[in-house]
Amino acid sequence: MTPNLYEAIQAERGKYPAGSESAVLPALRLAQAEHGWLSPDVIREVADALDETPAYVKSIASFYDQFHLAPIGEHLVEVCTNVSCAVVGAQQVVEAFENGLGCRAGETSADGKVTLRAVECLGGCGWATIVAVDHHYRTHVEADDVPAIVEELRGT
Amino acid sequence: MAPEIVLKDATTKLTEYEATGGYGALAKARAMTPAEVTEELITSELRGRGGAFFPAGRKWSFVPSKEQLPKPHYLVVNADESEPGSFKDNEILSRVPHRFIEGCLITAHAIDCDKVFVYIRGEYSGPYEILVGALEELKDRPEIRGNVTIVVHRGAGAYICGEETALLESLEGKRGQPRSKPPFPAISGLYASPTVVNNVETITTVPPVIAMGGAEYAKLGVPNTRGTRVVSISGNVVNGGNYEIEAGTSLREIIYDLGGGIAGGRELKAVVPGGSSTVILTKDEIDVGYDFDSLGQLRTAMGSAGIVVLDDRCCIVQLGIRFSEFYEHESCGKCTPCREGTRWLTAILRKLDDGRATQGDLDLLLDVCDRINGKCLCPLGDSDAIIVASYVAKFRDEFQAHIDQGGCPLDGHSSLDHVLAPVQMHAHSPAAHGPEVRA
Amino acid sequence: MSAPELVTVTIDERAVQVPKGTGMVETAAAAGIEIPVFCYEPRLGPPVGACRMCLVEVEGMPKLQAGCTLSAQDGMIVKTARTSSQAAEGQNSTLEFILVNHPLDCPVCDKGGECPLQDLTFRYGPGSTRMTFPKRTFEKPIPISPLIALDRERCILCYRCTRFSERVAEDGQLVAINRGAQSVIATFEDEPYVGHFSGNVTELCPVGALTSTQYRFEARPWEIQNVPTVCGLCPVGCNTTATTREGKVKRILSRNHPEVDEGWLCDKGRFAYAHLDASDRITAPLRKAGPRRFEELSWDDALDQAEQLLRAGGASTVTALSGGESVEEAYALGKLLREGLGANAAVLPEDVPDWGDAFRAPLSALRDARTIAVLCDEPVVERAPIVELWLKAAQRSGATIVYGAPGGSVDALVTDDATTTVEATNVYYLPRTPNGRGVADAWSAAGDGEPLDAEPRLLLISGDEAATDPSVRALARHADAVIGIGMFQESFRGLADLVLPSTSYLERDGTTINLEGRLQRQRRTVLAPVPDLLAWISKLAERFDVSVSPHVSVVFDEISARCFGGITFGEVGERASLPPRAERAGTPPPAKEHVAGAGLRLVAYRPLFSGAAVDRTPELQFQRPAGEVQLAREDANARRIRNGQTVTVSSNGTSVELRARIVRDLAAGTVRVAQHDAGELHAHVEVEA
Ligand SMILES: Cc1cc2nc3c(=O)[nH]c(=O)nc-3n(C[C@H](O)[C@H](O)[C@H](O)COP(=O)(O)O)c2cc1C
Ligand code: SF4
Ligand code: FES
Repeated sequence: MTPNLYEAIQAERGKYPAGSESAVLPALRLAQAEHGWLSPDVIREVADALDETPAYVKSIASFYDQFHLAPIGEHLVEVCTNVSCAVVGAQQVVEAFENGLGCRAGETSADGKVTLRAVECLGGCGWATIVAVDHHYRTHVEADDVPAIVEELRGT
Repeated sequence: MAPEIVLKDATTKLTEYEATGGYGALAKARAMTPAEVTEELITSELRGRGGAFFPAGRKWSFVPSKEQLPKPHYLVVNADESEPGSFKDNEILSRVPHRFIEGCLITAHAIDCDKVFVYIRGEYSGPYEILVGALEELKDRPEIRGNVTIVVHRGAGAYICGEETALLESLEGKRGQPRSKPPFPAISGLYASPTVVNNVETITTVPPVIAMGGAEYAKLGVPNTRGTRVVSISGNVVNGGNYEIEAGTSLREIIYDLGGGIAGGRELKAVVPGGSSTVILTKDEIDVGYDFDSLGQLRTAMGSAGIVVLDDRCCIVQLGIRFSEFYEHESCGKCTPCREGTRWLTAILRKLDDGRATQGDLDLLLDVCDRINGKCLCPLGDSDAIIVASYVAKFRDEFQAHIDQGGCPLDGHSSLDHVLAPVQMHAHSPAAHGPEVRA
Repeated sequence: MSAPELVTVTIDERAVQVPKGTGMVETAAAAGIEIPVFCYEPRLGPPVGACRMCLVEVEGMPKLQAGCTLSAQDGMIVKTARTSSQAAEGQNSTLEFILVNHPLDCPVCDKGGECPLQDLTFRYGPGSTRMTFPKRTFEKPIPISPLIALDRERCILCYRCTRFSERVAEDGQLVAINRGAQSVIATFEDEPYVGHFSGNVTELCPVGALTSTQYRFEARPWEIQNVPTVCGLCPVGCNTTATTREGKVKRILSRNHPEVDEGWLCDKGRFAYAHLDASDRITAPLRKAGPRRFEELSWDDALDQAEQLLRAGGASTVTALSGGESVEEAYALGKLLREGLGANAAVLPEDVPDWGDAFRAPLSALRDARTIAVLCDEPVVERAPIVELWLKAAQRSGATIVYGAPGGSVDALVTDDATTTVEATNVYYLPRTPNGRGVADAWSAAGDGEPLDAEPRLLLISGDEAATDPSVRALARHADAVIGIGMFQESFRGLADLVLPSTSYLERDGTTINLEGRLQRQRRTVLAPVPDLLAWISKLAERFDVSVSPHVSVVFDEISARCFGGITFGEVGERASLPPRAERAGTPPPAKEHVAGAGLRLVAYRPLFSGAAVDRTPELQFQRPAGEVQLAREDANARRIRNGQTVTVSSNGTSVELRARIVRDLAAGTVRVAQHDAGELHAHVEVEA
C-alpha cells in the first residue's frame, strides 16, 4: 500500500470516534480509486490499515454494489434500468451499449476499456435515461446518443 | 401553485445565499433555547419527508437530555435517496446546499449535538461535490459553523441503507442490515447514542420553518399534511423533474400541469404515487389530493414523493417483475421472508410473463405476498408484497389475461418488455454462484 | 441489589410472573410454552430478529412480532401459534420460506435426528413444497478449515455462526459475504478459519450447514451415547459431553456450565480427542531395549521391574508430576511413594499459591466487573482460553481492561504472577497446567515426611507433559534410572528405562480442580486400551504394604477427609459448585520485578495449540501460530511499524523475521512470540520495520 493511501485512510479514521469501524467504506472507496478494483491483496492491505480482519472487510465490500471484487475496465458505464428509465427506453440504451462495446451488460469490452453494467435507480428518474459514466450522470440519454459516448470512451 | 420555500433562490454560493437572507434562520434559532426550536417545529406540524412521515419536532423531543443519558448526541441526515422514482434530495443538495447545511446546524442546536453525519448515497458524486464545496466555504466562517462538525459519509450502493437503522449500521462500518426496534435511534442510535435521523428535505425545510415561524408554516397545506413537498415526477410525462407543491394539490394537476401530461400523446394507465414502495393508482384514481389523508383513503401514501407516470404501453405484470427484481436485489438478506420471498415473487411473476402460469400460480402469488407482508424485520420486504398485491388487485384482468392468453397481451410492445435488471447479472462477487436467471 | 420488579404476562391464556424485561422466549418457557427459534441465542448478544421463526401475536400491536426481540412488560397479552391462527400462519410462512432453498437431504446429513429445522418442519411445516423453481445451488461441502465443513445449501442464514465470530470470539474470521439471497457464510478467500474457538460454530448451527469434519458420517444420533465429563486440557475445566460410539470418542460437545464456560469450548478441548488413538499410544508396559527402542513386557514382569527400581531408588526417588493427573491418581502415586518408600521429593508442575483460595469467585463474575487488570504476560487465550471470552464479554459490557500494572484498585485481577500491590475484589490465578492445584493438594495430602535433599537415584516421571519438559529431562540425566508413566512412546523414548501406560482424562474417573478452585468430576467416557492407573498402583502399593484402593470413590473419600471437608465422591455433581472462600492462607509474595533492559521485553509463550494431545491431532496443526510477533500499539507507532508488516526481531546478534501483529491485550514495552518462533532470542529484543 502506498504511504499516501495509508495516510489518507488514517485521516478518514480520524473523522469518526476512536475504535469505531466507520472508516471501512471511505477506506474501500479510496483503495478502489487507487487500484481500480478490490483484489484480495488490496482488501488485505485495507484490513491491516484499519486493524480489521480481511474477512471483515470483504464482508462489508461485498454488501455494496459500488465495490468491484473483480477487475473492471478503464471506464465504467452504468445504465439505470429501473422503471422510470425503462419506460422511456433504458433497455434500448443498454442494448446500444452492448452493440457498441461488443460485450453484454455485466462484462468488460474486449479491449479492456469499458465495463458495462445495468444498475438500479440512480436517482435521476425525471431526466431519464440516466447513464453514469465514470460516476458522473448523463441525463436524457437515448439509444441514438450511445455511439458517440462509446466513441468518446474508446478514444481516451 | 405554492410558494417555493425549500427550493427557492437556488444557489451553491455562500455569498449569494447570505444575500437572500441565508443563515438568518440559524441566527434566529441560536437566539432561542433548543426546546423552543423544537417547539417551533412541533407547531409547524412538519413531518418527515423520507417516507414514514413522522412528525419532526416530536422525533427531536424524544432525545433524552445529557443529564438523563450522558452520551453524545448525533444528527444523521438521510441522503441515501434510492427509492425508484425519487430524486428530490439530489436536486435539493445540488441547488440549495447552504439551506440544507443551515437546516443541519439548526437541528444540531435543537438536539444539543455537535457532530452531524450526512449519509449520501455513493452514486451521488455531483451532489456530493457541491455539498463538500459548500462546506468548504464555511471553513473560515466559525460563527456559522459554531461548534458543529459536519461529516459527509458516502454510501456505496445499497438501497437498504436508506432504512434508518441499516443506515446507522452502515455508518458504523457494518453491513447495512436493519436493526430490530426498539431501541429507537432517538435513544440508542449511532454508536449506541441518542440520534436523530432525518431526511434531506425535512432538514432543508427547517430553516424556512424557523424563519417564517411554525404557525405561519402550518397555514400551508391541509390538515395532517402541512407545508410544501418537493415531488419528483418521472416516467411517461412530458416534463419530468422536481416541483415544489403545496400539500394537498391534486395529483391530476401535478401530472398534467407541472408534468405537462402524458408524453407522446398516449393514454395514462397508472401512477405510482410515492416511490416504488407505494400502492399503485389507476388512471381513474388521480383526482386525489397529494396529502397523507387523501392518499390514505386510497390505501396508498406520499412515501418519498416519487410520482411515476405509466402510459398504456406498460404491462403491469412486467412492472411487478421489475420492481420485485429491485427488492430482491436490494434485500439485505437478514430476514427470511424478505430474502426468500422477494425472490420467489419475481419467479412467479416471470412465469406469468412467460405464459407458463396456471390459475394456481396467481393464487400462489397472492399467497406468497400474504406470507411476506407483515412478517419482515423492516419494511423493505413488506413493500414488495404490498405493491405486487396491489397490482393484482387493481389490474386483475391483466394478470388473468396473461394466464388465459399464455403471456403478455401487449405481445412484445410493452414499455417494460425484457428489461435487464441488475439481479439478472452475475453477482459482482465471484464467490457467489447464484441462480443463472438471465436467458 | 434490589429485587427485580415482577410483571405479569399472559401467554396463550396462561398468566406468568417474570422479572420485567425478561425475553419473551424465556417468559413463554416459564409458562411451559415453547416459542420456536432459529437465530435467537442469547449467548450471542442482543437478539437480531432475523429468522422470523418466533412470530407471535401481541395484543395491541397490529403486526406479528418477533418473540425473540420482545421483552416482558406488565399486562402484556401474547398469543403464540398454539392459540393464534395469525401467529401459526406466520410460523408456517417462515418455515416455508426457509425450506424454499433448503435441500432436505436429511438422510445424509450429520444433523439428521438432532436438527431443530427437521423437528420444526415435522411439527409445523408444510406437507409439500409449492416452490417449483430451482433451488440455489452451491458447491458442497467446502472445508472452511481442516476441522469444519460448510454446506451452503443447507445454511438458513440465521447468522449464529458469524455472530459468534464477531461478538463472542471477536476473531473476525467467519463472515457473511454478498447481500440478499446471494448471501453466504465464508472465510476470507476460502482460507481456513483460524481461531481458538472456531469449533463452537458447529454446535451453534441449527442445521447441518457447519459440521465437524472429524464427526462427518461417523454416527447417527440413535447409535451414540453421550457421557458428561470435564475437559482435562487446560486449567479452565470446561464442562463437556463426549459422544461415543462402539467404544470410541466421536466428538466432544459443550455442556453449558454458566459459571465456568457458558457453553463454549476451545478447539483444543473440542478436537484434540484424536490423541486417544495416536499411533504411538502405549498399550502395554515398555522396557528400554536400546538407545531409542522399547520392547513390550507383561504386566507381571513390569510390576516386578517397577518394584525393583523403586526399592533401589528408595527415599532418594524423585517424582516429577505433570499437572494433568487426576486428584486421585496423584494421591495414589504420592501415597505409594511417600508411605511406601519415604520418597517425599516431588517436582510439582507449578507453584499454585494458596492465597488464591481467599478470592474464590466464578469466572462468570468477570463479566460484571467494571475494571479488570491482567497481569499475565502470556496471552490469556493461550493459557486459559475461556477466560479470554469472559474478558471480552466484560469489555463488551463496558468494563475497562488494563494490561500490565493497574493504576488503582480493580474489581478483578487476572494474573499468573502473584502481587500484593494491587487491591482487587477478585483475583483469578491462571495456572499453567490443567490440574496443578489438585495435584499439589493431593501430593501434600498423601504423606507428610520431608524430602531428602539428595540427587535422585530414581526419577519417576508422571505424564507426557512432564516427560517433555526440558527441566525434567535435565534432571533425568542425573538419575540412575527413570520410570515413566504416560500415554505416548515418543515422550519417553531414550528417556525411561520402564514405562507404564496411563490413560487420558477421557478414559478415567476422577476429579480435578480448575483455576477457580472448583472441584469437578471427570467421567470415563470410553474404556482405555490399558488398565486403570489406580488398579495397578494399588497392586504395586500392596508390595510395599501400602493400602491404595483401586476404586476412585474410596481414594477420593480418603483425600476429601483431609482436603475437601469430607464431601463424598458422589457429591461432586454434574455441574459442580464453587467451594466457599477460604481464610486467606498467607500473603501473596511481592510482585515480580521485571529486570529492566534495553529494548522490549520478550515473552515467549506456549501456544494453546501445542503439547502431546495437539501433536497427535493432524486436523489441528493449521491452528499453530506461525511467524508472528505481537506488539502494543504504542511500541508499534514509536517504531513506525504497521499491522501486518514483516519486521525483524533481534537481540545480541540473533534475529528472526516475523509478521507484526498489533494487539490490544499487551502492556507497552513487551512483545510476544510463540516459543517455537523465539529461537535463540534473549529476554530483551529490538523490533524494526
Ligand atoms: C427500505 C427503506 C428505504 C428507505 N430509504 C430512505 C431514503 O433513501 N431516504 C430517506 O430519507 N428515508 C428513507 N427511508 C425512511 C427512513 O427509514 C427514515 O424513516 C427517514 O430517514 C426518517 O427521516 P424523516 O423523518 O425526516 O423522514 C427508508 C425506509 C425504508 C424502510
Ligand atoms: S451456517 Fe448455520 S449457523 Fe451459520 S448462518 Fe448458516 S445456518 Fe446459521
Ligand atoms: S430487508 Fe432485510 S430485513 Fe428487511
